[in-house]
Amino acid sequence: MKSAFRTGCLTISRSLNPNPPSLSALHGLRSAAVAPSPRSLRAPPFRAPSPATRCCCSSSSSSAMSGGEAPALPLEKQFEDFRAQLEDSVVLRERIRAVVLEIESTARLMYSSLLLVYLSRPLPEVLDKSKAHIGTLKDNYSRLADILSECPDQYYRYHGDWRSETQTAVSLLAFTHYLETGNLLLHNEAGERLGLNNSQFGLDLEDYLVGVLFMSNELPRYVVNQVTAGDYDCPRKVLKFLTELNAAFRMLNLRNDFLRKKFDGLKYDLRRVEEVYYDVKIRGLASDEDSTGDQRSKENNDSEVVH
Amino acid sequence: MKCSSAIQKIFLMASDSKPQRLRQWASFQSSAAKKARTMTTQSSLKDAFSSYADDLNHLNDKREKVVKASRDITANSKKVIFQVHRISKSNKEEVLEKAHKDLAAVVDQYVAKLVKELRGSDFWKLRRAYSPGIQEYVEAATLCRFCKSGTLLNLEEMNASLSSLSDPSHKPLQINILDYILGLADLTGELMRLAIGRISDDELEYAQKICTFVREIHRELTLLVPRMDEPYDMKTKMETMLQSVMKIENACFGVHVRKSEYNPLLGSGDPSYPLMGVAGGIDL
Repeated sequence: MKSAFRTGCLTISRSLNPNPPSLSALHGLRSAAVAPSPRSLRAPPFRAPSPATRCCCSSSSSSAMSGGEAPALPLEKQFEDFRAQLEDSVVLRERIRAVVLEIESTARLMYSSLLLVYLSRPLPEVLDKSKAHIGTLKDNYSRLADILSECPDQYYRYHGDWRSETQTAVSLLAFTHYLETGNLLLHNEAGERLGLNNSQFGLDLEDYLVGVLFMSNELPRYVVNQVTAGDYDCPRKVLKFLTELNAAFRMLNLRNDFLRKKFDGLKYDLRRVEEVYYDVKIRGLASDEDSTGDQRSKENNDSEVVH
Repeated sequence: MKCSSAIQKIFLMASDSKPQRLRQWASFQSSAAKKARTMTTQSSLKDAFSSYADDLNHLNDKREKVVKASRDITANSKKVIFQVHRISKSNKEEVLEKAHKDLAAVVDQYVAKLVKELRGSDFWKLRRAYSPGIQEYVEAATLCRFCKSGTLLNLEEMNASLSSLSDPSHKPLQINILDYILGLADLTGELMRLAIGRISDDELEYAQKICTFVREIHRELTLLVPRMDEPYDMKTKMETMLQSVMKIENACFGVHVRKSEYNPLLGSGDPSYPLMGVAGGIDL
């Protein structure tokens, strides 16, 4: 059945084509599809030879074309190549999806460790538990990088498949880093933690920035619970941090996209932390860092509320 | 880190509910350390974000230039397509010659500009910015080739012609499969218009060739739809494509049927008879 349809197609294409290629040439082309491809005769000097015909990369090099107007390939042949290449990209996407699901579940575990901070567990324990997952994340991303290395330069073709999971991962790393040091985890630092500081598979800057903003969303809740637990210094520190972060983000020129939307949300986080800081300060609960003379007078207030 | 171990000790001591003095000491200790750390954070934060701002500005500027180049490609490719539609029985050669000349100009001026703006990188990252232009160019180029030789201009040949546009040190812009296929889908719409036009010009055979060609493309693309990166867009195009195919088929049918009843009655001199009732019902 298959061969009858094929000859049918050939007849049709021959009737349209004023210069039909000979049947033997067609057979030659078809067999070239399954064997490793000959180099294109006019390959530019820098282009590295691709090892397989059926790579998911965009250029198909199934035959060498002579100069000027090439003899027309039968319609069918080109589409066969397309089917093969697109099939490869579908398979690649499935493999990517599998790793991304693992990234998502590791991130979930890390998040649940970080949530311990609201259950008043000691900070070192929270940090240790959460940092334990970073190694797994790093492995997951390295697997992702391996998959993508089969198709160089196509990072951004498939980037959407791991974008939101990466943003989440960055936000968890940044939150952990903040709890540990009170500082912002920078782009290159985040990349290092995830093992992503190589040129082929990096941490996209906008993913990083969105991740940081997701982290800032968590800070109002953190501050509120810290105050309830008796840490009255927290609001002032977080407020300072968020104010600096806001000032830093204001240096960026953004487009009207998701990143911009998240950045617009930052000022609401800032406001909520300001409100908590104000509540704590006017009730004289907060100690003032700059005037150490006040430390002693605050001591009395401290003793009333600590447990 | 020295500070964090001090804090660790303090937390452990705090949980044993030791007297206030330790707590006071703890908060003093940590706040002093914090002060030192936040000082460095502030300056490095600003520096870091200043470099992030530069990176984003570069990318966005590049994107804007690429969009502009893409728009020029779209506009001028459309002109080529309209030129091809001026074809008639008598002027085929000149029309196609001009169309091919204009198409070459599109490549030499506007596609070259796009290649220049891309500077050999971010082909996939900025694809959305230039994809419409490239699709329109594919449409124009394949239309010209079909009118000239009845064949489908294939992707490999198109890319071979583009590779000379770029600087040897840059990766060349290559039309990817997805843009080529999307361009082909649009081509079928233009071919439908061409077919109807040819029927009006009493070129039924030409129209039938178009019909066969479009049928083949539709058939081949049907298998590719679910494997595209964004199958949803392609699905809508396929529906439109099927409409186009059927419009051509119905037009050919109309002419064919009317011709068979026409010949014995009036003779073959009157060219306008086959049109009657055919063009009226067609929604272009």
